[in-house]
Amino acid sequence: MSKFIKAALASSVLAASVMGANAAHAATANADARANILEELTVTKDAGTDLDFGTIVTTGTAETVTVGTDGVRAACVNVVCSGASDAADFSVTGSASEAVTLTVPGSVTLSGPGGAIMNANLSSSALTALDASGNGAFSVGGALDVAATQADGAYLGTFTVTVDYP
Amino acid sequence: MTIRGLKRLRNICVGLGAAASAVALSLSPAQAAGDLLVAPTRIVLDGQRGTEIILNNIGSETATYRISLELRRMTAEGRLTEVSPEDANELEQAAKEMIRYAPRRVTLPPNQPQAIRLGVRAPKDLADGEYRVHLLFRAIPKARSVTASPEQADGFSIALTPIYGVTIPVIIRQGNLSATAAIANARIEQGDEGQAFAFDLSRTGDRSTYGEIRVMKQGVNEPLLLVRGIAVYPELASRKVSLPVPPEVAAQLKGPLSIEYYEPRNIGGGLITKTELVLR
Repeated sequence: MSKFIKAALASSVLAASVMGANAAHAATANADARANILEELTVTKDAGTDLDFGTIVTTGTAETVTVGTDGVRAACVNVVCSGASDAADFSVTGSASEAVTLTVPGSVTLSGPGGAIMNANLSSSALTALDASGNGAFSVGGALDVAATQADGAYLGTFTVTVDYP
Repeated sequence: MTIRGLKRLRNICVGLGAAASAVALSLSPAQAAGDLLVAPTRIVLDGQRGTEIILNNIGSETATYRISLELRRMTAEGRLTEVSPEDANELEQAAKEMIRYAPRRVTLPPNQPQAIRLGVRAPKDLADGEYRVHLLFRAIPKARSVTASPEQADGFSIALTPIYGVTIPVIIRQGNLSATAAIANARIEQGDEGQAFAFDLSRTGDRSTYGEIRVMKQGVNEPLLLVRGIAVYPELASRKVSLPVPPEVAAQLKGPLSIEYYEPRNIGGGLITKTELVLR
C-alpha cells in the first residue's frame, strides 16, 4: 500500500530566475515536476524477540530441545530446561496481496568452547503472500541437538533469513 | 539543475504501520537494528543500461548493510530456492558477470536512505534470452564475543543471531522475447492451514511471465481471490499456484468462475491469459 515517493523537480528554480529577469516579456512561467513512485518493501525483526532456547543443563543423556514458531518450548525430558524461551518474529510490509517466499536455512551450526559444536534445525511459519493492507509476519523456531557429553559454555551461531520477492 | 527530495511523510506512515503490526505480535514495538526498506521490489532491464535502488535504514540504530548478487531458482510449487555459486548454470553465470553495482557495503544511520546504482555491461555476443539474478540486501550483525555472555557455572547458553534481509529480482532481457501462459486443472485442496484454491500455470516462450491473479465469479464485480506478484520464470514450463481461501470466501467459490492473469498495472495491465471453469 505504502509508496516510497521520490520527487525530482527539474530546473524549476533556474526557469523561475530566468523568467524573473524577463518578466516584462513573459506572462507565464513553466516548471517541470516529476514524481517516480516506487513499490517498496520492508523487513523488521520485532524487538526483544530472538530464537532463545533458555538455559539448558545437561544430565548425561542426549536430548533435542525444541522451540516452536510460537516461541513455546516443548517439554524437556533428559535435560533440565529453565528460563523463558522465544522464537524470532519478523514483520514484512510491502504491496497489498503481493506473493513472497521465505528462504530459511534448514540447519545451523553453533560453535562453543574449545571447538565444541551444536546443531540446530530451523523451522519457520508459512508466509506466502502479504495481506490486503500489505502486511505479513513470520516466526523462526528451532530444534537444538544437545549431545550427552555436550561441553558447558556459551555457544554462538548466526543464520540468514531472506524474504524473496518473485 | 536537479533538486531531489525524498518525501518523508509516507515513510513515517510506514513506520507507524510496522509498529502497529509489531504490537500485535509482541509487547515491545520498538524496532531492532538491521531493519531495512528496499525500493523498488523488482527490476526489469529491457534495453536500459542501469537503474537505482533505494535502501533505507528504518531501524533505531546505525547499521551496516551488505549488498550481494544471489542466484535463486523457482520450484514447481513457486518457491524460490537458493543456488550455490558452484551449481550455477551458464545463463546464471552470465547474468552475474554482466551486472555492476555500487556500493556493496554501506553504513547508514537511522532513517538514512542510500541509492545503490546498478548497471549492465552485456558482452557483444550475448545470446538472446532472459538473464536473472537476485539482489540481496542484508544487515551485518554487530559482532558478539563469547566473553560478553555471562559465565555460567553449569550448563550452557546459546546465542543465535539472525541475519535478515530481502532479495529482489534483477531481470535483463536481451533481444525480442515473448511468452504466453495458460491455466489448467483448477481445484480445491485441503491443506494444513485450511482450504486452498490451486491451479497449474504453464508458460511457453523465452522469457518469464509476471502479474496478478484474479479469481472472478460471474455477477460479482470484485475478485473473490486476488494475489499479485505471481511469476513463472524461464526455468519452469509450469508451476502450481495455490491461494489460501479465507472462510468467508469458501462458500462463494462454486459455480461458474474465471481465473485471470494480468500484467502489473505499471506496465500496461494487459491480460496474459484467462480461463473459465465451473467448480462444484
